[in-house]
Amino acid sequence: MFNVITALLIVMFTGLSLYGRVSILLLACVSVGMAVFLTYFNSHSHNEELSIDIMAQTSRLRDFHPVLKFWTLIALLFICVASKSVYTGIFLSIMMMTLSKFAGGLKLHNYIGVLIVPIRFLLIGGLALLLETSPEPMGIVNCNIFGIWLCVTPISQIKTALVISRAFGAVSCLCLLSTSTPMPDIIAVLRKAHCPEFIIDLMYLIYRYIFILTSLHHEMHNAAKSRLGFKDYRTSLRSTAMIYASLLGRSFQFAGKNFDAMESRCYDTGISFLQRDHQISPIQVFVCAVIMIVSAGLHFLPL
Amino acid sequence: MKRSIMKKLLTLSIIAAAFIALPMGAGAMHIMEGYIPVGYSIAWGVVSIPFLVVGTNRLKKIFADNRRSVMLLAMAGAFIFVISSLKIPSVTGSCSHMTGTGLAAMLFGVGTTSILAIIVLIFQASLLAHGGYTTLGANTFSMGIAGPLLTWLLFKAGKKMKINRMANAFIASSLGGLFTYCVTAFQLALAHPSEIGGVAASFNQFIFVFAPTQIPLAIVEGLLTVLILMGMESYASRELAEISFMEA
Repeated sequence: MFNVITALLIVMFTGLSLYGRVSILLLACVSVGMAVFLTYFNSHSHNEELSIDIMAQTSRLRDFHPVLKFWTLIALLFICVASKSVYTGIFLSIMMMTLSKFAGGLKLHNYIGVLIVPIRFLLIGGLALLLETSPEPMGIVNCNIFGIWLCVTPISQIKTALVISRAFGAVSCLCLLSTSTPMPDIIAVLRKAHCPEFIIDLMYLIYRYIFILTSLHHEMHNAAKSRLGFKDYRTSLRSTAMIYASLLGRSFQFAGKNFDAMESRCYDTGISFLQRDHQISPIQVFVCAVIMIVSAGLHFLPL
Repeated sequence: MKRSIMKKLLTLSIIAAAFIALPMGAGAMHIMEGYIPVGYSIAWGVVSIPFLVVGTNRLKKIFADNRRSVMLLAMAGAFIFVISSLKIPSVTGSCSHMTGTGLAAMLFGVGTTSILAIIVLIFQASLLAHGGYTTLGANTFSMGIAGPLLTWLLFKAGKKMKINRMANAFIASSLGGLFTYCVTAFQLALAHPSEIGGVAASFNQFIFVFAPTQIPLAIVEGLLTVLILMGMESYASRELAEISFMEA
């Protein structure tokens, strides 16, 4: 169902964005082609909340120096968002997908699966940007709903294309960062950036507790499901709330026991973990520099 | 002739989008990476800083007074992350998630919630690709500060007015959720004003396209918050009493 609706959204959005700019046949081909491509490769599932963590742990780009990778991608994010040209976003989207697939060894359907949630938001938000409300029909496509005209104007098409390309480029950078950098490496980068020590400790603990709570939730969910706890909407709501309440109660009990265990092992303040040693190689610096220079250069290309 | 048929088809597709496809939001309304211009990204970050400084100071004090609370807060952060990533029963058939920050504001106070929220948002960007780093400031303000602040204020006011505690929790968390959604729509409208009608028209458009998901979600979040509190009272009352010292 999600795939069908996402495909519908893609067809509608692409159709409205390019309407009047390309021939009707090409428009139909592009819209349907994009919808089929994304739907076919979409493997997103909400039972795999932490699948990105597994992708990051197994990525070949994991050994790329995390400090260099993190700050380069953050800089690229800002270059992309500040760009006045759609080509920066397009270039970064293609570049990040290529790097994830060929340098990181990530399967294409996993990559699209990660991108599918942001894409839905971009399409819904994109429709809001594309459609202008007006008392009179004044666009190239006009639709009257309860006396108000929803119009698609050439200016709104250009504005939307720019926003969506920027956002897609930025989301692609985020996707490469997420699927190639495990959370502990990101926390270590933040520590090096002088983030307050107690926040770093809190982040390490939260990261570890997330896995405990997720596995506990799966057990509780299965137990409730096997007792018909999700047989109708009312029961589902009650079961969900009971599971969450029990999860919060159990998590606080765990926290108490955890503190006792840590204190008995001489915990004072500060939590330290062994970090992998990463070396910056000239090729890593070269790749980062080239991508940044090209992205910044594309900024000056006309729309 | 062909062109007019195409126009009609496109018009119909807009109506279909409004009634069929739009309730497909991704739950808690994160602004996606790259969706707002750099100037606004930085500005929302700057607006959030004073609240985060208050939160940091509050946490420092809590940790100095009671070191055990580090674990409790870490668990609370993990709990917010987990419930915000899990699908909840939704009336519109969309894929909805709780924000969890309203519940956190009632349990821990606004300052603490803002710090937990920014950490959870970084985790959501890194582990779920929801939200992002350039929109961290805007998302922190809407989901970690504005919504929880209203929830906390309403909860405190309701307590003073001696409104039934569960009704009070429902009203506070539902309205907090709705307020988060309105603030996010405002942030989007400010960043992308409409060609005809400016920020106000754009605000109405964003409110309209996200309403089918966000209004039922706010009501469901309110119901779930009440049921969670009732559940905790029956079998985790000791833990509830333990966290009461953290109230701001």
